[in-house]
Amino acid sequence: MNLISVGLAVVAAAALVGATAGALAQARTRPLVAGAATAVVGLGGVLAGVAALGGQTWSLTIANLLPLAETTFAVDALSGAFLVLIGAVAITAGIYSVGYTSPGGAHATDEDDAAPGHDEVVAHDGVDAHDDVPGPAKAAASRTAQAVLPLFAAAMLLVPAAASVSTLLVLWELMALTSLVLVLAEHRLRRSVRDAGLWYAGMTHAGLVAIMLGLVVLAAGAGGESFAAMRAGSAGLSPATASCVFLLVFLGFGSKAGMVPLHVWLPRAHPEAPSHVSALMSAAMVTLGVYGIIRVGFDLLGGGDGWWWLVVLAVGAVSALYGVLQASVAADLKRLLAYSTTENVGLMLIGIGAAGVFAAEGNRVLAGLLLAAAVLHAVNHAAFKALLFFGAGSVLRSTGLRDLDRLGGLVSRMPVTTALFAVGALGAAGLPAGNGFVSEWLLLQGLIHSVTGATAPSVVVALSMPLAVAVVALTAGLGVATFVKAFGVGFLARPRSVAATGATESPLSMRVGMGLAAAACTVLALAPAVAGAPLGRLLDVLPSVRGGAPLARSDVSLRLAGIAGSMSPLLIVVGLLVAALGAAALVRRVTRGAPRRATPVWGGGSTRLSPRMEYTATSFAEPLTRVFDDVLRPEKDIDVTPFAESEFLIASISYRQRVPDRVEARLYPPLLAAVGRWGQWSRGIANGSVHRYLAYGFIGLLVVLVVVGITS
Amino acid sequence: MSDGVFVQILDLVCGGLLLSGVLMLWRRELVAIVRLLVVQGVLLAALAVLLGVREQSVELYLVAVGVLILKAVVLPGVLHRVLRDSGDAREAAPLVNVTSSLLAAALLTLVAYAVSGPLVALAPSATTRALPVGLAVVLLGFFVLVTRRHALSQVVGFLLLDNGIAATAFLATSGVPLVVELGGSLDLLLLVLVLQVLAARMRLTFGRTDMDELQELRD
Repeated sequence: MNLISVGLAVVAAAALVGATAGALAQARTRPLVAGAATAVVGLGGVLAGVAALGGQTWSLTIANLLPLAETTFAVDALSGAFLVLIGAVAITAGIYSVGYTSPGGAHATDEDDAAPGHDEVVAHDGVDAHDDVPGPAKAAASRTAQAVLPLFAAAMLLVPAAASVSTLLVLWELMALTSLVLVLAEHRLRRSVRDAGLWYAGMTHAGLVAIMLGLVVLAAGAGGESFAAMRAGSAGLSPATASCVFLLVFLGFGSKAGMVPLHVWLPRAHPEAPSHVSALMSAAMVTLGVYGIIRVGFDLLGGGDGWWWLVVLAVGAVSALYGVLQASVAADLKRLLAYSTTENVGLMLIGIGAAGVFAAEGNRVLAGLLLAAAVLHAVNHAAFKALLFFGAGSVLRSTGLRDLDRLGGLVSRMPVTTALFAVGALGAAGLPAGNGFVSEWLLLQGLIHSVTGATAPSVVVALSMPLAVAVVALTAGLGVATFVKAFGVGFLARPRSVAATGATESPLSMRVGMGLAAAACTVLALAPAVAGAPLGRLLDVLPSVRGGAPLARSDVSLRLAGIAGSMSPLLIVVGLLVAALGAAALVRRVTRGAPRRATPVWGGGSTRLSPRMEYTATSFAEPLTRVFDDVLRPEKDIDVTPFAESEFLIASISYRQRVPDRVEARLYPPLLAAVGRWGQWSRGIANGSVHRYLAYGFIGLLVVLVVVGITS
Repeated sequence: MSDGVFVQILDLVCGGLLLSGVLMLWRRELVAIVRLLVVQGVLLAALAVLLGVREQSVELYLVAVGVLILKAVVLPGVLHRVLRDSGDAREAAPLVNVTSSLLAAALLTLVAYAVSGPLVALAPSATTRALPVGLAVVLLGFFVLVTRRHALSQVVGFLLLDNGIAATAFLATSGVPLVVELGGSLDLLLLVLVLQVLAARMRLTFGRTDMDELQELRD
């Protein structure tokens, strides 16, 4: 019996049972039911994915499930990698959601997060007293949200298993709709949730239209809508048609992946969704956009032209830089994580784009290495981003705050959350001993070796790859700053607000969910070599990179096949540990016997030091804001109020800073205005007159009749 | 019945159908228009009988009886009741005046003949050659729907449209099965009853039965 079919059957059954039970269960048991069902859905996905990565394949065709088209599923190693990724995120999110949606915790309402760096500190206590104001836990535990959660996980898991256009589109839409319901879970609490839902719905539907157009053109040209038929028939497409298909599909999947300039929904939807949903969306759903690009570009279209992939590379570079820049200056923790998602998707797209360029040139070794790096980065990103969103959710649930400027001091109040968040931040920063480092290292190796090979590189490669190396390096550097800020300002030092002072540790299930994600991060960081063989199988699925096994078999170290390069994360970690312990021992030895003195901190002459004087996220990012002023264009507003007696005696200074999304501010208003005008114009057509509506039908009938009469 | 006589009678009946349709555009007294509907119902029933004789089918006689009862007795009866209850019995101000309407009717008939050429060519015979008449009545009915304001005129236009569809069906298929005709007729009856209620409600609310009063309902 095929393990993949067992796994996917578990997915479908658990989703249906979970949705029904979640809809019927009492409010008290609902979090447990929905969370457990989601975790089981994820478990089924991991089972199927592991089997697929182990070399099994599976396919299924159901004739009469959808009208006019067969429902076709097929799972290969490429699907398997994403099944494992999504399944693992679903398991942790399911467990985490049990605690997150159960009663308790701070109940935040309209948070003034648009203006970090304001003067007064607002406590968000006392809302609990009103029963009619549902808190985030209560809203996320609503009947609808809980019933939809397992369905969302299952829809995501079935997308990479779909093997025909109609199946893919139906599941894609199911995924979009269920996630939209979940994003809107807290719509009664904050107006911004509705706004975020609207943006997300608009972007995801625009993306669906682009994907549908592209795939329909491809299916028409290839003579069949199943992936097998498209694979066979895509070679016969004219280059112009194939390019058109690829660009449409790239736009559509890219809008889901959150690449610039289609990223605008990420920093809205991710912060406003319940945190386990943010984790599912940011860690799992977004990577399905990457899956789609790989599946269509490398598999169905068979590789294609080099310039397609240069476009992907360029978009990836812009996304990585813009995402990390916005993340580095963001003061809202979940907004920061959302922009970091754009950054990481950008890194994946850089890997995919470079892989496509080399595949078009016939360099399978480098193409394989870069594509493997991109997929591995997707997996790593899923692990640390899920963990980070869980951590942010724990903080939000405990304090009601997402604003880093008001947090702080959590290390002593939420020690477990702090430690686990640190693991995730280390991974996201791309430093050694974190899992993000491994895939970024692979990416850099692939990009660097492109110009040092035996043969002289082509002009395109010689120009684009060094630039890509620079982009990745700059992104990694800014990423470190971003996550030092997120962790240092958010968790260390002393609390900057009353709400942060009252923080308490999260329930057990949330800690377990975070712990599992942290364990995944650790395994990926210390033993990435386990991914070698599965990644090789994954590459064998794709015709243009087949045979370029990137990672040689090895035990502790990660050795690259075909080019010189090896690295052992385990030895690096051991080395770091030894160095740190040695330094600590040395310090102890030097200071042993010296008396301890307790003195006040030097405050530059001021003796009344308060937590308000600590470094905040905004002040930490100030140098970056200054350096990248031309790109970010922050809006600053300084208001000095003197005393009435003399203008030289200052009563108060208020400072406000906003960093708006410039891409959004430049690109979207004209577009929205055009759509609005179109809507207004169509209101004129439908003026309410019955006669006019009948006349439209009449004229339409006459035109059809005349056209048919003339042409036949 | 010989072929020659059959074709003569068929053309006469079809001509009558078309003529009654055009006359409905000409008359503005609603009582007269309803009377024309009765004539058209009788002619439609006659068409069914004629085809029944030709095909030697008892089923078609039954269809003819049904058509006669529904379209020459019941529906005009309903319309008469509405007319009796409401005060205004004239289509006061059609959106397109009578002269232009008649010109449009001529044009629509030409269009119907022009575009139904391919249909006739599929199986040329005396009945299918009369097919454009059915199509022309459909277009005339649609035209009445678009240009007449009075709620009752709307019902008339709809019935004209349906008569055209029925005539087309008879002519294209040499008679329709009883079940199909029965189903269509039931729909029609229901729709006319609903429209009657709608017209009565409109009169209660607005004091008139001008369809443009409904414009206010828009968003």
